[in-house]
Amino acid sequence: MWFVRRLLFLLLQVSLCWGGSEPYRREVHLDAVSGPNSSVSNLLHVRAVGYSDTIHYVWGTLGAPTVLLVYSNSSKSTLNVNWTKLFSPFPSGAVRIEPAESILYSTAIAFTKIFEYDDSNNTANFSGAPESAFYPAYNLADFVWGDVSKTLNTTALSAEFQGVNASDPAKHFQNGSVSFRVSAYKEGSRDLLPPHLLYTANCSKVEFVMAEVAPRGKKSRFVLEMVTLEKKNGQKRTDSVWSIDDEYTPTIFEMAQLISDVQNHSRAQGFLQWKAVAYGDPSSSRAEAVPCRYHQLHNVSETWPLPDLAVAFFGEDVREHYNVEALNVSFGVADGEFYEKHNYLIWSAVLGFGTPPRDSFSTLVIAIMAVALGMPAVLLIVGFITMCILKKKRYSEYEPIN
Amino acid sequence: MAEYEEQESLLDGARDETGRRLYSAGENRGMSALCDPSRLAHRLVVLLIMCFLGFGSYFCYDNPAALQTQVQQDMKVNTATFMQLYAWYSWPNVILCFFGGFLIDRVFGIRLGTIIFSLFVCTGQVIFATGALCNAFWLMEAGRFVFGIGGESLAVAQNTYAVSWFKGKELNLVFGLQLSMSRVGSTVNMNIMGWIYSRIASMIGAAGPKTLGISLMIGAVTCVFSLACALIIGYLDKRAEKILNKEKGKTGDVIKLSDVKDFSLSLWLIFLICVCYYVAIFPFIGLGKVFFMGKFQLSSEEASAINSIVYIISAPLSPVFGFLVDKFGKNVIWVLCAVAATLAAHVMLAYTFWTPWLAMSLMGISYSLLACALWPMVAFVVPEHQLGTAYGFMQSIQNLGLGIIAIAAGAIMDSRGYLFLEVFFIACLCGSLIAVVMLYFVDSMTGGDLNLSATKRNKLQRLTAIEKEI
Repeated sequence: MWFVRRLLFLLLQVSLCWGGSEPYRREVHLDAVSGPNSSVSNLLHVRAVGYSDTIHYVWGTLGAPTVLLVYSNSSKSTLNVNWTKLFSPFPSGAVRIEPAESILYSTAIAFTKIFEYDDSNNTANFSGAPESAFYPAYNLADFVWGDVSKTLNTTALSAEFQGVNASDPAKHFQNGSVSFRVSAYKEGSRDLLPPHLLYTANCSKVEFVMAEVAPRGKKSRFVLEMVTLEKKNGQKRTDSVWSIDDEYTPTIFEMAQLISDVQNHSRAQGFLQWKAVAYGDPSSSRAEAVPCRYHQLHNVSETWPLPDLAVAFFGEDVREHYNVEALNVSFGVADGEFYEKHNYLIWSAVLGFGTPPRDSFSTLVIAIMAVALGMPAVLLIVGFITMCILKKKRYSEYEPIN
Repeated sequence: MAEYEEQESLLDGARDETGRRLYSAGENRGMSALCDPSRLAHRLVVLLIMCFLGFGSYFCYDNPAALQTQVQQDMKVNTATFMQLYAWYSWPNVILCFFGGFLIDRVFGIRLGTIIFSLFVCTGQVIFATGALCNAFWLMEAGRFVFGIGGESLAVAQNTYAVSWFKGKELNLVFGLQLSMSRVGSTVNMNIMGWIYSRIASMIGAAGPKTLGISLMIGAVTCVFSLACALIIGYLDKRAEKILNKEKGKTGDVIKLSDVKDFSLSLWLIFLICVCYYVAIFPFIGLGKVFFMGKFQLSSEEASAINSIVYIISAPLSPVFGFLVDKFGKNVIWVLCAVAATLAAHVMLAYTFWTPWLAMSLMGISYSLLACALWPMVAFVVPEHQLGTAYGFMQSIQNLGLGIIAIAAGAIMDSRGYLFLEVFFIACLCGSLIAVVMLYFVDSMTGGDLNLSATKRNKLQRLTAIEKEI
């Protein structure tokens, strides 16, 4: 019975969604912000303007690749960059969203390091791997990043930061590179490629791609390190949402998210959300799925050098007001394939504000269930009625005998 | 694969003529009890060998399920292609189910037939393993095809031997034991192949097609063992025939394809129930291991164990349910319960994170119940001389269904995931459920005796007997 109730509830939900108002749309602008010296400027500004608010995503590779997520309650807020200050030793205040008082929430996520370790036993146990198994980590702040303005696609609303290690004596990056692909969205829908992430107009997407980077061992596995900021009154936390629905990402039932812990369900809160899977080839076919796992957030407030872009926006004293926490996402599971198979890895995540999107059953699933379960029930009822009628008839035919 | 036992036992029940004496007993030539074919001790030895006759084929049938991840990784195939391994097993049986009995009766004879089918099973498994060794998936498929030619017919041969040795004696028990033994084969396979694979991987230092090939070759040892049993039992049977002037065992299947046009609506409904039900069981078990590991985060060993629980449960329960259904009658209601319970199990697997032990146990119970209640129903709606055709046809479309759905299931799982696959299985079961409900109405409107209680059925039988005498 509970199941039927649930089904009815879902049907109701679906009909409400259809009958509801038009999907929320934003006007999205994607610009490479050029400075005086365009070769190193490499700032990407995504501005998603709504009726009465604006979401700013400011991507940059001054230091490690970093994205600033700023939510402003004015649809007229703008980005202001002071280039001289930005390249000075004290970049504090060089990047501003104005008017400053319209900012309701801001956070940053920096992609700082790529760890590589030798998983000779194929256990994919990153946190338990011995020190000796690790190769020197790639520090993304030391990478040389390509000019983002050349990859800008204003119709598809996407851009790409592509980088190689600045010093590469062993030629691991001879043919390969690490890239962060950014896509913005005007309205909600679902990604075309696996893992078919769901997004809304309040979201954008980042794809982390390692292509043709030569691994340093045959059994190398990789781990991506991110650093995130949150105001001291709150805290970031990681969260797994288990869903029975793997229709869009076959065999993957876990959705992971990095959300802010503040008990305030307003739109003004940033999140990062990803399915627990990466892929080992560019077509992202299921056969090449590489399950990924996230590890506990750990506080790195004291030690971590912050990327210049974060300092430029949050100020020199950012550590006093913000918790700085690091999160590792490791790729691969025990007995799984190694990166070496295709020398390729792609992992996608949705970045956005508000409540993270949640998958729901597709209409097709609901329709099949309704028909499949409904038919026998209907048949049972109709059958009983027909049988009763027929029996009555038969009896009445026999009556005249007496 | 599994259902021939029930069918044969029924065939036998339906045709058990007045206790013919098969053995010219009392001719004691001073042999020890173990060597004297007329003595129980000797028959027990034969029974043991008979049980192991089918062990190899049942063990190897589910090799792919036990090693799904390994096969997919080493051979680099997606799930749809992987499921071809099951489909290729089914294809020859779409045809062979009609002729298995005929081949044994008229062409080869039981002894030669058994040996030939065992050889097919053996060769098939060896080709299958060689395919893995050479990293040629098409060769593996060919192996499964050859294996399929032998597998199902070997089950027929095994039953024929059972009838020939135990008719009028411990026959039902023997069928029960054989059924249990086949389940044991499947279970052992599910739980041991992964372990063998990992041992070999650590021995040769790497996992790959070679590891898979060697593991499957080790699996082939069970087939060789079964072949040895076929040879021994062939010898013993010949010896017994000489000593006792024993009659030849017969399958009793007389297949006439023209009978098909006379099949009643009830029979077609029974076929529909059968196909729709079994396609939601066997292909699911074929894909189950990865499902349990992915959705419920279980270790590979535990996933294998859960996957084999259906077989484990049905081993002891089949005889119990057989007894119950015999005692109470009302077959349609039992079938209805079984289908509904399986439906509930699939719904649980699809829509909850409850421990899969629960759902799979329920599935195991309902699966055994269905087997005991469904297959005997055929005998109530078909005249005796058409029984062989009806059963052959039922097996044949079951295999056809299994072959098609195995591929479809693999493709669905690759493109749409497990939830959708489960919904698909649920839809199949609902098809089965509809057929049961229709069968109930059709039967009660035409005044059939499918759903009579056992006591009424007995009364009816006595009445007809009395009428005949008059």
